[in-house]
Amino acid sequence: MQLYEILRRPLVTEKNATLQMGGKYAFEVDKRANKMQIKEAVETAFKVTVMGVNVMNMPGKSKRMGRGMAITPNWKKAIVTLKSGDKIDLFENVQ
Amino acid sequence: MKVTTEKTENRQAFLKIEMEPAEIEAGTETAYHRLVKKVEVPGFRRGKAPRAIFERHFGKDRLFHETLDDLIPDAYKKAIDDQKLEPIAQPQIEVETENPLVLKAIVPLKPITTVGDYHTIELKPREVEITEEMVDKVVDRLRHQHATWEPVDRAVAIGDMVTIDLESTAKGEAFINRKGLEYQLLDEDTGPIPGFAGQLVGLKKGEEKEWTHKFPDDYFRKELVGCDATFKVKVNEIKQEILPEVNDQFAAQVNAEFTTVAILRQKAMEEMKERAEHEAEHEFEDKVIEAATAMSQIEYPPVIVEAEIDHLLERNFRYIQQTGQDIEHYLQTIGKTVEQMREELRPAALKRVAESLVLGKIAEQEKIEATPAEIDAEIEIAVNNSQENKEAIRQALNNENNREAIENTLITRKVIKCLTDLAQSPKEKKEDKSEG
Repeated sequence: MQLYEILRRPLVTEKNATLQMGGKYAFEVDKRANKMQIKEAVETAFKVTVMGVNVMNMPGKSKRMGRGMAITPNWKKAIVTLKSGDKIDLFENVQ
Repeated sequence: MKVTTEKTENRQAFLKIEMEPAEIEAGTETAYHRLVKKVEVPGFRRGKAPRAIFERHFGKDRLFHETLDDLIPDAYKKAIDDQKLEPIAQPQIEVETENPLVLKAIVPLKPITTVGDYHTIELKPREVEITEEMVDKVVDRLRHQHATWEPVDRAVAIGDMVTIDLESTAKGEAFINRKGLEYQLLDEDTGPIPGFAGQLVGLKKGEEKEWTHKFPDDYFRKELVGCDATFKVKVNEIKQEILPEVNDQFAAQVNAEFTTVAILRQKAMEEMKERAEHEAEHEFEDKVIEAATAMSQIEYPPVIVEAEIDHLLERNFRYIQQTGQDIEHYLQTIGKTVEQMREELRPAALKRVAESLVLGKIAEQEKIEATPAEIDAEIEIAVNNSQENKEAIRQALNNENNREAIENTLITRKVIKCLTDLAQSPKEKKEDKSEG
């Protein structure tokens, strides 16, 4: 798995905007990626130092599809803590 | 913010307003706070998106233009204060450059009126004279009005009244089809189209005639110009006009109060004289106002004229609507666009603006005013002149706007009176002021 395959997209929400004030950035990452890979990917992509990574598996949601129900895929969320002072401009360097 | 007046021309100030980046930033911040509450950004509740994310979602340019909408009126107000200008209408504002932000504003200013020495105007109203011939003409017209019609057995002649059956087509379509039409031959050219009457002359009772006729170039229905019309006429009856004798009996017939011809003639004379005097007075007033305007210098911004044109145009349109016509249809019939009509009204508007400015200035100089009591009196007159619903009319007239309008009318009337008095007064009594 290549580095650029790991980070899927930044998660821009009200909750994450609050987290960003403490230097924590949230991403959707590849399901197979581990903390070390995520750390490396973020460091290479945004030229920052990563102090810690928290990951969690997010269950997909049930959605109605006509008469039946379908399930959206499960995915992995990573919250990356940067060295204090480091910043990511989420909108300019989205991979 | 830096404001400079580049020039003043035709009572319009051309302003250049240069904005500081800090002012723009402050404006953008306000605009952001206002807009963020209205725009939904995915992932955020309304009003919760941070500025950076909001800008990304909403668009930086759009935010900037929203900012301008807030910023420009404020900047304009400040600029006006700064330059101590007194605008009389909305300015025209343009953004010249966006970065740095430079605005250009054209501000219409109060007109300047320098009235010439209107005390020197010397004019006299036109002399009114009613001659015996003029009275004769009126009496003649009255005779025609009270004429009786008697059937005769001879050929049709000009001046007769005929009853005809008329069938006609124009351009292959039915034009006028009437049976038993009463038709008076005033002269050769009377008609549905010119020359119609001439064709009837010489026909006898019961006779029929058929002919074709071309529509003239100046016919009011444009689509028929130059087309042929065919007419088929049958004369059913011919009547001759019998004019009444001018005697006391005729006088009484005109009006029961007139017992003799002499009284009739005298009344007619009085009436004509009154009307002519009224007309002469109007003419005289116009001349005096024109003279006063001609000797004055006025400078005003063009918006005033445009507003006056709008006003005139609106009045014309309202009049057209009252006659039950559709405005678009009307424009089509006369073959003009609104722009053309505006241009046609321009000279009249220019004249009105000039005159009203001059009269206003004279009122100021002569300290002519209308008192509330006079306005009340004027309202009473209008109320008494109306037939029904007096109370409603009184209420409709007695409000701020209408009182002001009435006040203006009264002042104008007084100024005109003052001017006409001055024009007629011997010149050594210059200081004599009218009480109006």
